[in-house]
Amino acid sequence: MLGKRKEQGSILIVGGFNKARSLANSLLKKGYRVTVINKEYDACEKLAEIHKLNVIYGDGSKRFILEDAGADTCQVAIALTESDETNLVICEMCKQFFHVKKTVALLNDPSKTNFFYQMGIDRVVCALNMITGIMEEQALMDEMTTRVPFDEDRIHIMEIPILKNSAMAGKKLWELNLPKEIIIGCILRGDRSLIPRGDTRIREGDVLLIITSDKSKLEEIKELTEYAAS
Amino acid sequence: MEKEKKYTVIAGCGRLGASIAGKLSDEKKDVMILDCDKTAFRKLPYSYGGLTMTAGATDIEKLTAANLKEASVFLAVTDYDCVNICAAQIAKKVFQIPKVVARIYDEEKTELVKSMGIDTICPSELSEKEISNYIEIGGMKHVG
Repeated sequence: MLGKRKEQGSILIVGGFNKARSLANSLLKKGYRVTVINKEYDACEKLAEIHKLNVIYGDGSKRFILEDAGADTCQVAIALTESDETNLVICEMCKQFFHVKKTVALLNDPSKTNFFYQMGIDRVVCALNMITGIMEEQALMDEMTTRVPFDEDRIHIMEIPILKNSAMAGKKLWELNLPKEIIIGCILRGDRSLIPRGDTRIREGDVLLIITSDKSKLEEIKELTEYAAS
Repeated sequence: MEKEKKYTVIAGCGRLGASIAGKLSDEKKDVMILDCDKTAFRKLPYSYGGLTMTAGATDIEKLTAANLKEASVFLAVTDYDCVNICAAQIAKKVFQIPKVVARIYDEEKTELVKSMGIDTICPSELSEKEISNYIEIGGMKHVG
């Protein structure tokens, strides 16, 4: 099994219908070879309408179905079924029996996240955590449009628009006196993106991509972008 | 004095789970049985004197609250292979229970847990052995 050539860019998606469909579409567009497994016949028929998509009808938690789907030639396996336990078993089988390099599991119950990582799953996506996170962010922070936590919440990337009359507008980066835990990674200006240097001047209408290692610095950033006191 | 940990946790109150729970309880052993459906506990015999808990077999929070770390034996006997595998792995890896047994219908999945020191029971394998015993009783081969 190990000797078999791993084809570049093959991805296996098990379970899920709407999620699988939109994920498959997006991956196919990027040029990956995609196979989906679904145990509902109707769902398979609809999925089969997608051009170039391989569809396997069967229970993805069975070894022979994974084998039929060519799991041993895939680099990535994504388990999207509704059951956490099934997703775990699918990923474990892909890893142990078919030596899939990277396994991704969808998880409903956030308390199992660490356990899933402990069992050797490469990426655990907890939809509930993400949605509540986004909701909280949308409810609490208006001016900071997106906040992406990385590396188990230790690093945050945020987009901050520079509004009219912001205290930051018109200043060069070195004049800003940013806290140590914050850097401006990129400036989005119109349809261009600039990698900023110390002498880059911030303008109204810019969007700053800010990277911070400390969530509590959010308030300080807020103050910095606020209207000039004068 | 060190508290002796000797209690058995059974996940899944089906026919198998309920009957094992009943037997252990008759032997005056400490037993806890869990099932996500509380009506399942009707299958337990009247004499059952152990604990019941309405919880999913893989619900780490509820299992922690039930002090699963103190258990010495964990049996995963729900109707679903994947749930049994997941529950057994949680019992072994998260709660470090020394003896963990899982019922797995699909023989091919047994390898996933065997390497972790989890014992498996595969009904089809057992029936196969029994049947071959029946048709070869006393050295007489009934199958030509």
